[in-house]
Amino acid sequence: MAIQAALEEEQVATTPLLQVQGLTMSYGVGDSENKILSDLNLEVNDGEFVSIVGPSGVGKTTLLRCLSGLIQPRSGTVSVGGETINGPHRDLAVVFQDYSRSLMPWMTTLENVAFPLQGRGVGKKERNETAENNLAAVGLAGQGHKYPWEMSGGMQQRVAIARALAYNAKVLLMDEPFASVDAQTRFDLEDLVIDLQASLGVTIILVTHDIDEALYLADKVIVLAEKPATVVDVIETGFGDHRDQVETKADPRFAEARARILHRLRDH
Amino acid sequence: MTDTALRPESKTGTPARPRRSKVERVRSRPAQLALNILQRTWLIVVVFAVWWIATADSTNVFIPSLESILTSLFRDLSNGVIASGAAYSLGNLAAGLLIAVAVGIVGGLILGETKRLREIVDPVIHFFRSVPQAALVPLIIGAFGIGQGPKIYTIAFACMWPVLLNTIDGVLGVEPTIRKFSKVYRIPRGLHFRKVVLPAALPQIVAGVRVALPIGITVMVVSELFAANKGLGFYILNSSATFMVPETWAGALLVGVIGYILSLLFIVLERRILGWYFKSGAK
Repeated sequence: MAIQAALEEEQVATTPLLQVQGLTMSYGVGDSENKILSDLNLEVNDGEFVSIVGPSGVGKTTLLRCLSGLIQPRSGTVSVGGETINGPHRDLAVVFQDYSRSLMPWMTTLENVAFPLQGRGVGKKERNETAENNLAAVGLAGQGHKYPWEMSGGMQQRVAIARALAYNAKVLLMDEPFASVDAQTRFDLEDLVIDLQASLGVTIILVTHDIDEALYLADKVIVLAEKPATVVDVIETGFGDHRDQVETKADPRFAEARARILHRLRDH
Repeated sequence: MTDTALRPESKTGTPARPRRSKVERVRSRPAQLALNILQRTWLIVVVFAVWWIATADSTNVFIPSLESILTSLFRDLSNGVIASGAAYSLGNLAAGLLIAVAVGIVGGLILGETKRLREIVDPVIHFFRSVPQAALVPLIIGAFGIGQGPKIYTIAFACMWPVLLNTIDGVLGVEPTIRKFSKVYRIPRGLHFRKVVLPAALPQIVAGVRVALPIGITVMVVSELFAANKGLGFYILNSSATFMVPETWAGALLVGVIGYILSLLFIVLERRILGWYFKSGAK
């Protein structure tokens, strides 16, 4: 009995938080069928930071839409905490690429962050408190009264991140979240996300076409290629918790991993 | 935009956005206000002056002098003949508009969100909105009687279409990313309607109400041309039937003035409820 229990515990501990099995997705039917994803498998462990990298148009966004439950795959499953999802899930939050379109301009930033909690039935005082705390966590303490359109792009994306954090999901899905900001802001936001992940222990899946960004941020990089897309490589970066925009990117392992990904993408 | 002052349109004193221009800001506020008022009113003053002079010696029974029109207008305004009629008419207009806005918004939100229903109802909507609403007035009054109710329903019926159609348009125009957000974060349906779809469609809805307002005023007057014993329309019809031509003109003039005042009030209301929309630069 004791051994049985210990085995089960081990089972629980090693079950990945998010698991994708045999995921296949296509648009259209018959002759006009356009296969996007083919028999795609991946695993993300609790607390892990995973980047999904691949060239533009490979199907990253489609994959993310499957993961977030916005579309149903043709076949295969996506499961979170062992539970197969068939639509948007409580444990999945998304940070969209286009912050200027995903925040609601008729709400203040505080209202934007608190709104998903209202949907969950959290009382006004509590949800405003949570929103305020999460705004502070992304460096926007006391800015809740401002409207999104009164803020810069980088600040707006911080608000979107705060909104996802406030939702308190186990997994944060980020769809090219820094693609529409300038380089300096991008570095700031990258470091912010690394810090947040380290301090909150949230699991992050970030989709990007930028190999450097994928490597710099992640514990594990999943490389997508081919048409229809499938996983062609999985790389453990091994940089640990401490990252620095200059040091980490100068690390020989960084260059090595970078070369490996480029080769992978070129070969396919 | 630090170089606003250097742009050619600013030098003429009529920039595209007067409130933001640096040139404008330099002037003192009262001076600016006076200029604004002058800009808006000079044409109407000219029109009335020309009207006054051109009709001063009119002998045509159907084109009385402006002086006699205004005399009758102020006489009937001060002795209460028009006031009670105007109150009745405006009450009908308010009630009719309220019904139109309520039905138009609720119907528009439902139709905008349900594609199948929209496809079924679409031809019917376009049929009814193309029917000249004023032509339906005698039919509705014939069918439903001569009381206040049918007049309100007629106004409501006519005003509903622009509100309904604009609401549908507004709902269809909701930013796809915001819809995705609402789905992923599992916003319940009721909250999604109230806090996401409705505010997103509001600029369009308000534009629909703005179109409905003059339609409502027209139908309000027309509804009182049939089987009525009070109201502005009745005043116009009655004075015309008894050859009190200056009174007929006075009634029509008053309706125009009321329409203008209502549109001004509407602008104030619009600024209030769509503050975010104007300030965000979306418009």
